[in-house]
Amino acid sequence: MKTIQLTLVALTLLTASILWGPVHENTSAANPATSDGSISKASDPIDFENDLVPIFTKFGCNAGACHGAAAGRGEFNLSLFGGNPQADYKAIVRQFAGRRINLMHPEESLIILKPTAQIDHGGGYVLDEAGEGVHLIRTWILQGARYETLRHLAHVEVSPKKQVIANLEHSIQLRATAHFSDGTTEDVTRWTVFTPEDTSAVGINTVTAVARVHRPGRHIILARYLTEVVPIEFIVPLNEVLPQKTEPETKRKALIPKSTSLNHPKDLKIDGEILKLLSTLRLPVSAAADDATFLRRVTLDLTGRVPMPDAAIAFLADSDPNKRATLVDTLLQSDEFNAYWTLQLAKLLRIHSEGGNTQGAFVYHQWLSEQIRAGVGYDQIARSVILATGDSHEIGPANFYRTVDGAGEQAEFMSELFMGTRLRCANCHNHPLDKWTQDDYHGLAAIFAKIESGQIVKIKPSGEVIHPATREKAVPRIPGDRFLSNDVADGRVELVDWLTGSDNPYFATAIVNRLWKAMMGRGLVEPVDDFRATNPATHPELLTALADDFVAHGYDLRWTLRRIALSAAYARSADTIPENATDDRFYSHALQKPLAPEVLADAISDVLGVPDVYGDEPEGTRAISLFDPNTESEALDILGRCAREASCETSAEITGGLQRKLHLFNGELLNARIGVPDSRLDTLVSEGKSPMEIVNEFYLAALSRHPTDTEQEFWKQHINTTASANSQKAVLEDVVWSLLTCNEFVVTQ
Amino acid sequence: MKRAKSFNPALPIFSFIVLLMSATPAITGVDFETQTQQGTNPHQPTVMPPITSLVFSHDGKAVVACSQAGLHVYDFPTLKLQRMIAVAARNVHALAFSPDGDQLAVGGGNPATEGTIEIFSWPEGKSLRVLKRHRDSVTAVAWRHAASLASASLDRDILLWDLSTGTPTQRLQGHSRGVSSLCFLNDTATLVSTGVDQNVRVWNLTSGELIRSLNNHTLPVNDLALRPDASGLPMVISAGDDRTVRFWQPTIGRMVKFARLKAAPLNVAWLDNGARIVAACADGAIRFVEPDSVEVTGEVQVLSGWAYSLAVHPTDGSIVVGGPNAQVRRIITD
Repeated sequence: MKTIQLTLVALTLLTASILWGPVHENTSAANPATSDGSISKASDPIDFENDLVPIFTKFGCNAGACHGAAAGRGEFNLSLFGGNPQADYKAIVRQFAGRRINLMHPEESLIILKPTAQIDHGGGYVLDEAGEGVHLIRTWILQGARYETLRHLAHVEVSPKKQVIANLEHSIQLRATAHFSDGTTEDVTRWTVFTPEDTSAVGINTVTAVARVHRPGRHIILARYLTEVVPIEFIVPLNEVLPQKTEPETKRKALIPKSTSLNHPKDLKIDGEILKLLSTLRLPVSAAADDATFLRRVTLDLTGRVPMPDAAIAFLADSDPNKRATLVDTLLQSDEFNAYWTLQLAKLLRIHSEGGNTQGAFVYHQWLSEQIRAGVGYDQIARSVILATGDSHEIGPANFYRTVDGAGEQAEFMSELFMGTRLRCANCHNHPLDKWTQDDYHGLAAIFAKIESGQIVKIKPSGEVIHPATREKAVPRIPGDRFLSNDVADGRVELVDWLTGSDNPYFATAIVNRLWKAMMGRGLVEPVDDFRATNPATHPELLTALADDFVAHGYDLRWTLRRIALSAAYARSADTIPENATDDRFYSHALQKPLAPEVLADAISDVLGVPDVYGDEPEGTRAISLFDPNTESEALDILGRCAREASCETSAEITGGLQRKLHLFNGELLNARIGVPDSRLDTLVSEGKSPMEIVNEFYLAALSRHPTDTEQEFWKQHINTTASANSQKAVLEDVVWSLLTCNEFVVTQ
Repeated sequence: MKRAKSFNPALPIFSFIVLLMSATPAITGVDFETQTQQGTNPHQPTVMPPITSLVFSHDGKAVVACSQAGLHVYDFPTLKLQRMIAVAARNVHALAFSPDGDQLAVGGGNPATEGTIEIFSWPEGKSLRVLKRHRDSVTAVAWRHAASLASASLDRDILLWDLSTGTPTQRLQGHSRGVSSLCFLNDTATLVSTGVDQNVRVWNLTSGELIRSLNNHTLPVNDLALRPDASGLPMVISAGDDRTVRFWQPTIGRMVKFARLKAAPLNVAWLDNGARIVAACADGAIRFVEPDSVEVTGEVQVLSGWAYSLAVHPTDGSIVVGGPNAQVRRIITD
């Protein structure tokens, strides 16, 4: 997983390089050399950190695909994107007895000969001999190649930060201004690297920093100068004009702002923010989902179950205008909710039986279930697991420290789980796309190093980790915040106080984003464990509002889930219209969500009326209730279970992909169970129900709706009422098979 | 040979008579030209290049230093600059006198292009021959006997040279990255080398085979030195960027001990006929390590910046240290 993610970052940068050609210096760039071409040693002192490192970044020298790779390139290693200028100085000036610079003959310095391709260079021609970059390097060597740091970068300001672009022909001049610690500012546009997230959507001239957007949508450009990376957002409406209300409703199912069901409530903040962006994008919304779709969706999202036929009939027949709110409240208070959201959090916490530790997994799962049932705030759950000690076979949350191996891995796990950030990049180098440093990573690891994580989880005063950069003991640190005393016996207390503080910028935001994804199918930040300034939320104000509201209501999971469930955005149909068919992130229509393996396994059992068997668990045990994800189960093997040894938040892992489809279509998972004795089909046939009554029953069980007229007509044509009972049952088995393999069944619409 | 006076680990470092003899700028050669010509000669750098290697002449009356400026020959002990000798290479990294002291081998090259070993007559300082077969800078040279030497290069190869013909007789390939240092064992048939690949490698020169690779270092290794005491199994020390000096018995492939220092050792040498070692470090200090206890028994801050090089006087135990801006300093631990 790590490799994949790191590779993705590298590939993104590489792709930019490929699409835009190798970045090399334009000779026409301003050259501050004197008119006779000589370089005066009396020039202003060259500041290595602020004048030279940006050159290496601008021209890709310190990128991951070049000398910024962990192992460097050609035995020359620069810090990734100049994250460690002092190490870069050492590599250039001192390593190999200073052979990369020539103080006697600056122009013969390796640091000039290589990038100007005067001698063989794996990276090819990068710098022009007459360009400003070479001039600065040469002058710096002439001045003695000193490490001068006259000022420190405070922050970078970009212009524009966000822009709505009406016309694709319109070009945008990007600018970057550096603000330094001494109060000075400098236009650093020419040394700033502007990288579109999608290079096929936005083109940027590397010399002039003029951007041109190629297609509608929301596009992010990352501006990098020194250690700062700042996002720029372009929005180009997806339609030239908003659909007008004068158009016939029969042709256009939905119009802005008419977006909600008559009997579905709205959430002013949620729907306000969603519709605001949709309006900017000129993106029309789909119609509200009908009651059957809403019933199935919300029941699956809150309880992990498909509604049974009786419940579906009752809900569809209910004329109460508040029935959706009533349904949501009922589901939130149900045992099924407790079981399903215990599973959801168990996946987040990666509860599993490591090395045969089934007892630990059992008590951990049981403890978690009790927290959910009792409505314990998420902050308290976090406090309990982070501060846990004791016998992990008796004290559930103590198993938090038996989930991963090693203090560094614990730091990564904690940051991804409770902060929604990938601190792991900062293990080897300062995070290239975020503010996390190696001090943050190893400082957090130093806190966890003082925890001994055998069966008995306890404080280990001698625990320590070595900081790879300093080769000294890492100083315990609250990431991004402050160092702790080296003498602190248990830094977890300060850590958890900071983490669950009401003003913590990560904790509440990370979990509400996950709740949002669970309900809406996509996080406001994606991936949900990759919060960073350079990966901005699609709806930042909404995310902040949800987090604030979550904190204000006691970190109550049910509260936030309820708000989302009762929003008009949640209640929207998954059916698209031509104008919003390409939308996969702005919530103009509902997103289809594949059922999790455990949910799908239970749903199949429920519809068939044939319980599955899970290891040694009692018959009737539901897949979502299993405490151990490794419990023996052929169904879960087929459907793509997540073993929880790593994050379960990658959709490919939880949905099973092609394997699931093939087994559903052809395997014994369905075929061997559809018509067995005491199954739903067998019972209905035995009760003497007519074939179409049975069809209707299965539609309600599987899809929470009656068959449409077209579907009824189709099945009537295929069921010969005059045929033998066995023949009719065979056709009905085909009906059931068809329902359980159709897309409508295996997803939440 | 006169034994150097021993360093008493029981005493704090300040109680040593530590003479940092950079002398006055006018006579040391440290700032000899920049003091007088700065601002008048546009080709004169404001900062002189670092001293990358140091070696004493056999009679102990001269110390030779090398840098990108060429060879600096200083009188010893005054460190007065006697003369400069031009070298063929743009970068020079290694110096070694022949066993009888009448020739000086200078290793260097033009980075990423070629490596050279230039042989000078001594004390005349006349260039006798330039050996060119490496594809990158030569970082170390070691004499095997009067007519043969070995050279290590950043091109990852080690060459054995026949000086009577000026041609290489063996090319040892096994290091996966640049080679930084080498030394012969007293049998002259065994060579030990090390480098950026973090390995200490042992070579049988009779067969030309790599005997073993010792890989305990966790970062590139900068230097090697053979213990002069011939009793027992040969012992070699290595100095690595992982801030350790490690004690090896290369003939049996054993790492005996290691000491961790406060800063990376760049150059190491044995003192007192193998009774202790001295390491020149990246923080400008030299540190003394007692081999049996592997305790750091003394530390002297010598330079500002990296202490790239050091040499131990053949008779009186004085140490000279070379660093940035052509600094050369003499340390007397007495």
